[in-house]
This record gives sequence, C-alpha cells and structure tokens, in this order.
Amino acid sequence: MSALRMLPRARPMHLDSSVVMGLRFASGDQTRIMSGDREVVGYGINGRPIYFDSQDCPFPAIRFRELTPEVCAIREKELGDWKKLSLCEKKMLYRHSFCQTYAEFQKFTPDWKLVLGLGLWSLAIGCAITVISKLNLYNDPPETFEEDRRSAQLRRIIQLQMNPITGLSSKWCYERNQWK
Amino acid sequence: MSTWANLNLQDSASPLMEQLIFFHDHALLILIMITVLVGYLMFMLFFNNYVNRFLLHGQLIEMIWTILPAIILLFIAFPSLRLLYLLDEINEPSVTLKSIGHQWYWSYEYSDFNNIEFDSYMIPTNELATDGFRLLDVDNRVVLPMNSQIRILVTAADVIHSWTIPALGVKVDGTPGRLNQTNFFINRPGLFYGQCSEICGANHSFMPIVIESVPVNYFIKWISNNNS
Repeated sequence: MSALRMLPRARPMHLDSSVVMGLRFASGDQTRIMSGDREVVGYGINGRPIYFDSQDCPFPAIRFRELTPEVCAIREKELGDWKKLSLCEKKMLYRHSFCQTYAEFQKFTPDWKLVLGLGLWSLAIGCAITVISKLNLYNDPPETFEEDRRSAQLRRIIQLQMNPITGLSSKWCYERNQWK
Repeated sequence: MSTWANLNLQDSASPLMEQLIFFHDHALLILIMITVLVGYLMFMLFFNNYVNRFLLHGQLIEMIWTILPAIILLFIAFPSLRLLYLLDEINEPSVTLKSIGHQWYWSYEYSDFNNIEFDSYMIPTNELATDGFRLLDVDNRVVLPMNSQIRILVTAADVIHSWTIPALGVKVDGTPGRLNQTNFFINRPGLFYGQCSEICGANHSFMPIVIESVPVNYFIKWISNNNS
C-alpha cells in the first residue's frame, strides 16, 4: 500500500534523482506526468488522463491547458448568462479546453504533395538508371534477336504447331496461311 | 515450348497436363474471387466515415468468416487430391526410356531396342541455324511414339539434375545412385522442349531436353535406322 501512495497523482513532478530512485514506475504514471496540472473532466477514450482531438471521441479526459488567472475569471463569468460573454471570451474558453476546432483537425493536409513528389522522383530515378544501364552497361543482345532470325523462328513455331490450343499457333489460320 | 509474352502454362500434350491446367484454372478462379472481394473491402474503406466506438465482438460474423474459408478450401482440396491420385495411376508402358544427367548434357538409353544410346548436347548459339531456338535446340532429340504410355527412369552421373518437359507436366529429379520413375503419354506429334531444373554447375542453363513425338510407325522406322 505504501508503494501505491508513492505513485504520482495529477500534480507536477519534480523529477530529480532522489525522487525517481524512491518511486516504482507503474503503467499509467507517464500519462499522469504528461497531464500535469490540467483538470480531469471526464473518462475520455480509456480512462487515462490523455488529451487528443478526434471525431470519434469528442470529449477528452482532460482540458488542453492548465488553469490561469485570466481563464479563472472567464470561468466565473461563464457560470452566469452566456449572452454576456463576448466572442473573444468564448473563443478563449474553447481554446482553454480544446486544442483545435473540428475544422482545423479535419482539414486535408498537404502531405500528399510530398508523397507524390517523392514517388515520382523515385520513379524517374529508376527509369533513368534503367535507360543508362541499357545504353552503357549491357552487352548487345544475341544474334538470335535480329528481325530475320526472329521471323524465321516464328515461322518454325507455326510450322511445328506449338501451343496449338490457346497459344500462338491457335491464332494462325493454316488453310489461308495467314493470321486469323 | 514457351512463346513470346507467354504468361500462362504451355498448351498440354498429355492428358495429365490437361488435368493440371484445369486444376490451375479452377484454383486461380477461386483466388481471383477472394482477391477481388478483399480488394473491394479495402477500397471501400477509403470512403467510409463511420466508426463504431463501442465494438467489442461479433460472434456470428466471426463464425461465418471462419467456416466459409474452410468450405472454400474444400473446393480446392477435393480436385487437388483427385488429381494427385490420378497422377499416380498404374498403367502398362510400352516404351522405357532411361535418361542420365551429366555435367552438362543428357544421355538417353532405349534398352528395349538393342541398347540404343546417345548423348544430347545443346547446340551453341554460334552454330545455330537461322530458325534455331537459342538455348533450347539440341543435336540429338529424344524420339518417342505418340499415343503410347512411356516410362522414363531418370538418374544422374555426377550431381543432381532434373528432367522436365512442361508441356507434358513431367518433372523428375535425377539423383546420383538412384532411379526415379515416372510415366507419361503424348497425344499429339511435335517437338516439346524442357530445360534442366536443378542447379548443377556452371552450364546448368545450357542442357536442354527436346522430345520429338512421332507416330508409332515412324518411331519403329527410327529405331530400325539407329539399330543398323
């Protein structure tokens, strides 16, 4: 039990070596250290005091910012008639509890331009390497690749009726001696 | 043999190869259907705006997507096993051919007929005829009768080789000190090419196999000519 009492709560931790040596770090302690002084206002997505903007979970467990005297004053005013709050005060209250608006975190980012650029550059470099290799590195193809030898081989393939069912010879009409 | 831009299996020259092609087409069809289904599901995720925040389990759908693949696998397994046993059926061969793999050529023996033996070397590219097939044509082809059951015994003299003819659906390893036997049946005349299919040294790519399938009377004439 004494170890549990030593676990840090939602208050700022001064992490000098004497404090760290005396504590056993349990799971969840890091989130409490990160949440710091911020007010816990709900369960959030999993009960941990974490802040994140998400369409799925509109109300995080903690407010985004810590309490300051200016915000305290506006919070007092909020307890009264909301029509008395100015637009600036409403915005300040929103930004105290939340980091971004729905419009801001749902916005389409320009990341796609970087990804597309990198992809096209990679493609271009690959094509360049292929062309340069073909022109400079590789030997000439064997003489059997010449047009007359290839056509002689094709004539022989047709005469031997190779792949006559669905392959090359099936496309040749033997009665009229031409392609179908 | 393989022709230009050939993506599929070669057309069969053997009834067993026909069955292999049918099974290949059947299994590929099932695979394409599965791929299209999964691809469609993944593609539609781009256009989905809904999230179920409280999703824990779905017993019914999990049962369905376990049992349905098992049934699909049965549709693949039954034809596969049927073909497997069909390939092992016993028949009475009329000709026996022995094929010995060497580094780097094949030698053949027809012991049924007065011990006809010969070596089969690849024709080098610089000695090839104008219409010769590079890396495929050989000096002495293996002549076999069509429409007859043929037994082949494959072995090797030095390292492991593998004797194969894709159009007949035959691939047999030739291991030194061991005879491997298989049967096949050629149902049309022509030339059927294959290449050594087990790495056997520097010229592994340059020891092809060519079968010349001829009617029985031509085969008998060839045997008589070789005998004399």
